[in-house]
Amino acid sequence: MIVPFGHVLLVAGIIFALGVFCAVVRRNLIMIVLGIEIMLNAASIVFVGAALRWNNLDGQTFVLFILAVAATEVSVGLAIIVYAFRRTGSFDPSNFNLLR
Amino acid sequence: MFFHSVLSPQSSVLLLIPATMPPLVAFLVTFVFTRRQPRLSAGLSIGSIAVSLVCSLVLLGLNFKMTGPVQYSVRLLASSGLDIPFGFLLDQLNLLMIVVVSSICFLVQVYSLGYMAGDPGFSRYYAFMSLFAWAMMNLTLSPTLLQLYIFWELVGLSSYLLIGFWYEKFSATQAGKKAFVMTRAGDAAFFIGFLLVFLHTGNLSIPDLNGPAVSAAFPPTVLTLSALLIFGGIVGKSAQFPLLTWLPDAMEGPTPVSALLHSATMVAAGVYLFARLFPFFSMSPAAMEVFLAIGTISMFLAATMAIVSRDIKKVWAFSTISQLGFMIMALGAGGYFAGVFHLTAHAGFKSLLFLCSGVFIHRYGTNDVYELGRLGARRMIVPTVTIILAAAALSGFWPLSGYYSKEAVMGSLASLPNPAWLAAGLVGVFLTAYYSFRLIFILVLPRAVGPPAGLPAASGGGRKTDERHPNSEIRHLSMAWPLIVLTAITVMLGFLRNPLKDFLQVGITAGGAAEGGPFEWFHVAAPGLAVAGAVLAWVEFGRRGAKQIGFVERVPPLYRLFAERWYIDHFYRLLVNVVVDKGISYLCYQNDNKVIDRSIDELGEGTIEGGRIVAFLQSGMIQYRLLVIFAVMVLLSIYFFFPVF
Repeated sequence: MIVPFGHVLLVAGIIFALGVFCAVVRRNLIMIVLGIEIMLNAASIVFVGAALRWNNLDGQTFVLFILAVAATEVSVGLAIIVYAFRRTGSFDPSNFNLLR
Repeated sequence: MFFHSVLSPQSSVLLLIPATMPPLVAFLVTFVFTRRQPRLSAGLSIGSIAVSLVCSLVLLGLNFKMTGPVQYSVRLLASSGLDIPFGFLLDQLNLLMIVVVSSICFLVQVYSLGYMAGDPGFSRYYAFMSLFAWAMMNLTLSPTLLQLYIFWELVGLSSYLLIGFWYEKFSATQAGKKAFVMTRAGDAAFFIGFLLVFLHTGNLSIPDLNGPAVSAAFPPTVLTLSALLIFGGIVGKSAQFPLLTWLPDAMEGPTPVSALLHSATMVAAGVYLFARLFPFFSMSPAAMEVFLAIGTISMFLAATMAIVSRDIKKVWAFSTISQLGFMIMALGAGGYFAGVFHLTAHAGFKSLLFLCSGVFIHRYGTNDVYELGRLGARRMIVPTVTIILAAAALSGFWPLSGYYSKEAVMGSLASLPNPAWLAAGLVGVFLTAYYSFRLIFILVLPRAVGPPAGLPAASGGGRKTDERHPNSEIRHLSMAWPLIVLTAITVMLGFLRNPLKDFLQVGITAGGAAEGGPFEWFHVAAPGLAVAGAVLAWVEFGRRGAKQIGFVERVPPLYRLFAERWYIDHFYRLLVNVVVDKGISYLCYQNDNKVIDRSIDELGEGTIEGGRIVAFLQSGMIQYRLLVIFAVMVLLSIYFFFPVF
């Protein structure tokens, strides 16, 4: 194993933190969904690294499922965002507070 | 359930079952099966009351020499220390009463065959009549106050049903309701009264209450209080002073119902209760004084109302109140026999008066005496002769029953040390004769002059009561023979005075009522005043050229006072307006609106307001939530993975 597992975790942690930062800070619904995707991918990196580290393919299978779920999630999320944009003409999440 | 008898049961007591049960059976059968067959229902009802009448007469014959009461009872309800029997108590008083009740009921029912013929509610009428007879007979035979109260209420119920018999007529339903509610006011007092008795003696048995042991169980004030409360029931039932206005309104019912109501059943129940508990009541002299006063007031008020009424039935209704006042006076003065004898005699002639008036009303379709006179009521020989005889009996003319009973009443009043009571009674005698003969002269000797115009038509006649019955001469004949029988009773009852007195006085020790006392002159004064009243009526209404205007009608304020019934009804209406409408119901309305509704509204609005106040905690920004979630996750993971903290 060329790349040590600790480095994999470090990279994944940085990407996850970037995803969190994107989801929390950006005032745009699309960027929030994007941030969530980045977080999911960070988690996938950890799964792949762990699969290699312990020679167990369960982790890689998991990643395949995550990809499938992420794809559906993005399509559904984008559809919701498009609908929300048509109704309000805005991507700003602070405009969507009817339930408060 | 087991049978026990307080005294040795005699075979005659078993005869009470066929004496009292048939009307109930007739009532039930009529209601369940024969409502569609009026003739069958009437036959059933009359047949059952005939059986009752025969049995009561046989009982009277068998027990004429009885020495003490016979009681036969079954335990209805037993709880710890509480024993409620149900059964019969037979003594002289109620033996006399069931004979009176069953004979009057029988005659009235036979009479109703003609009077009510063709009425759509014929079966219903006879069913209620049977219920009435059954309730009244059982009331008189009750051995305990509780059982008496049950039948007391049943009597009230059946009179309500019969007064409001023509229920499609608004005034009739109103009158029925008025009778029911006003008597209920008295009954509430009665109920509290016997509960008070029960609390102190643990026993509601009538013979025990009348016994000497009771006065030991009571402090005198409580005895007086409970006597007064029980008397409240009598006031309601017998239409005495504060609660007297329901009885004239009860004229809305069919005339035979009035005849029954006014003589043997409804109003007689009150006086009967007084006589029944006479020894109990006489243990409290203070209460007896109050009874005497109430009897006198009602006697006088009702007599003045009768003087000015133009409605033939209302005259007799007021006269009933007045005569009941006489009975209460007599009993209150300690004249047990006088009260009961007047009740018996009055049952005869008052039902006769009503039945005669019923014939006129049925034939001419009006209640107004003047109009009846003008239409020629005197052409009907039998009712005219009998109504004159009955009015003479009511006024107290020798040798009719009224003479003897009035004299007995006056005798008991004369035995009192205070001559004011006797004086009031004599005024009553005068007024009675005056209003009876005023009506008779107007009826028999119509004059063209008539009453003065301009005065308010007091409780006015008008064709309102019986217009739905077609006239037919034949039916009037079938209605005639009960009149003749009642006339015979009225004429003869007076001569049975002494045997009846010996019969009734057995076992009654309290209030021996030494007749006469210091005022022996009443023997002359009472009949003399009766004649004077009749003569005054003759001068004002009877003689040739009389203007037919009474001395009261010459004084308009007085006339208005009497015609408006001393404003008692107005007072009640005011009382209802002020206390009930503006007081109690206003408070209830305000409570409903201001307390209950407001509190529920406040609860809802408070929730909304509270939500609004707490809502500032929510920004509705999804990203803040995300941030919080992440922060919590990070802190939790630090907490779990680094146990240093």
